[in-house]
Amino acid sequence: MIELDGVVVEYGRGRRVTRAVDGIDLSVGEGESLALIGPSGCGKTTLLFAIAGLYQATEGSIAIDGEPIRGTRREIALILQDAGLLPWKTVWQNANLSLKLHGDYPEKTAEHVLAELGLSESKQRFPTELSEGMKRRVGVARALSTSPSVMLMDEPLASLDTLTKERIQDLFLKLWSRHRFSMILVTHDIEEAAFLGQRIAVLTERPARIKSIVGNPAMGDLEYREQPEFMETVKRLRDAMEEEEVDE
Amino acid sequence: MNARRFRPHLPGRLQHPGPLRYALMYALSVLVLVGLWWGASALVKEWKGGREFLPNPVRAISEMARLASHWFPNFLISAWRLVLAILIAFSLGYPLGLLIGRERRLDELISPMIYIVYPIPQVAFILVLFLIFGIGNPVKVAIVASALFFQILISARGAAKNIEDTHVTSVVSAGASRWQVYWHVILPATLPSILTGLRVSIGLGMAFLYIAETYGTFDPRRGGLGAFIRANSYSAAQAFAGILAMALLGLILYVAIDLIERLVCRWKYPARRSS
Repeated sequence: MIELDGVVVEYGRGRRVTRAVDGIDLSVGEGESLALIGPSGCGKTTLLFAIAGLYQATEGSIAIDGEPIRGTRREIALILQDAGLLPWKTVWQNANLSLKLHGDYPEKTAEHVLAELGLSESKQRFPTELSEGMKRRVGVARALSTSPSVMLMDEPLASLDTLTKERIQDLFLKLWSRHRFSMILVTHDIEEAAFLGQRIAVLTERPARIKSIVGNPAMGDLEYREQPEFMETVKRLRDAMEEEEVDE
Repeated sequence: MNARRFRPHLPGRLQHPGPLRYALMYALSVLVLVGLWWGASALVKEWKGGREFLPNPVRAISEMARLASHWFPNFLISAWRLVLAILIAFSLGYPLGLLIGRERRLDELISPMIYIVYPIPQVAFILVLFLIFGIGNPVKVAIVASALFFQILISARGAAKNIEDTHVTSVVSAGASRWQVYWHVILPATLPSILTGLRVSIGLGMAFLYIAETYGTFDPRRGGLGAFIRANSYSAAQAFAGILAMALLGLILYVAIDLIERLVCRWKYPARRSS
């Protein structure tokens, strides 16, 4: 269980302090998927990085299973916007990086994950030799290699073409169903949020506050995009976001 | 818009030629240089009423072959001085530059010192160094190393500052310690820039070596190529044997850096590596 209680995140010093996140209360259950959606630059990535332990909350608390977050943790994996691959490492080295940093060498884990993601044949390639879709899969492989209980994703499919994006969204859904980690997805793509979030928190302009939370219980099926409930959720999200713009 | 002017980004295979193409391009460059040299030599000879201030390539190369037993020992002496100076400058300047580039407080403390000392032409210190340390090998190596040190330090600092945040965030979020960030990100990310900086530094290093060897040597047989050139300055063709030997030394170092880059920056040459 991930619990956020009155989380405020500020950065800068003195008169240049910027409040990026302002009083977020949220909880994400074990194996639950939550999407955070909001306008660009609203502070959703800052919030995600605070949950990942990369930023310290200025006020309030963030805890996982009751234990406050004071830094990065092995059970929390973060997938970055462009997969965060290191260009000087091969697919194999990138996928194993988290294990290596933690001083573990259970290479079978990464081997297994690469096979699951269809990357076994590309182990010795460098990221520059991969398609954008493959790069994202390597980023997922690295995140999965430590068998995390919490998966955080920061606009992981931004800048992908529509078909590749949908394929990777399907992959995320399958992996989430199979591994049952708690998932927090940051996105500004309404359809992505509707496809992958059991609940979708709509954030305001900076500083990020929760505008509304939209339930999406029918998600979880690969065919969900074809279903009327999906279109309904998309419409509700769009209304919620537009309402925010009118308020501003 | 003229469509023919559009030059698309070349795939890795074409950006990084293979060994045969590489050798051919070098051979072609040498031919062009020899041609230009020949033309310049003829022009100078004509201008100076037949006097040979700039020998033509055949004359210079034949002198180089004739004097091989004289310049080659000096070549080896200059080579080890230069390589040692590069190694010293690299092993001090690279890590310090990375630290300054990444650690804000260290940058605030050390960068002003660099900005004060670096613009002073290091040539100005040569005489002082000779007076303090004499004219042995250590001072010659020190002169070259001190010149290269700042070049490498500043290249490393700039390269470390320009590392993409996403690479650092990626490893920090995966649990990397500060030193793991240096090992897995800062060091490999800055290598290509540092090697480029090193290429630029070689020319400067050779200039300083020439000055140090020219003015700090009494024995032209063991003084290095600078001393050899000075000792043969009465004959343009013989002096050019030494100048060509210096060019050869520079070429060998450039090729060595290219090879080192191919070895340690393999990700920059993926198409050929995987083919």
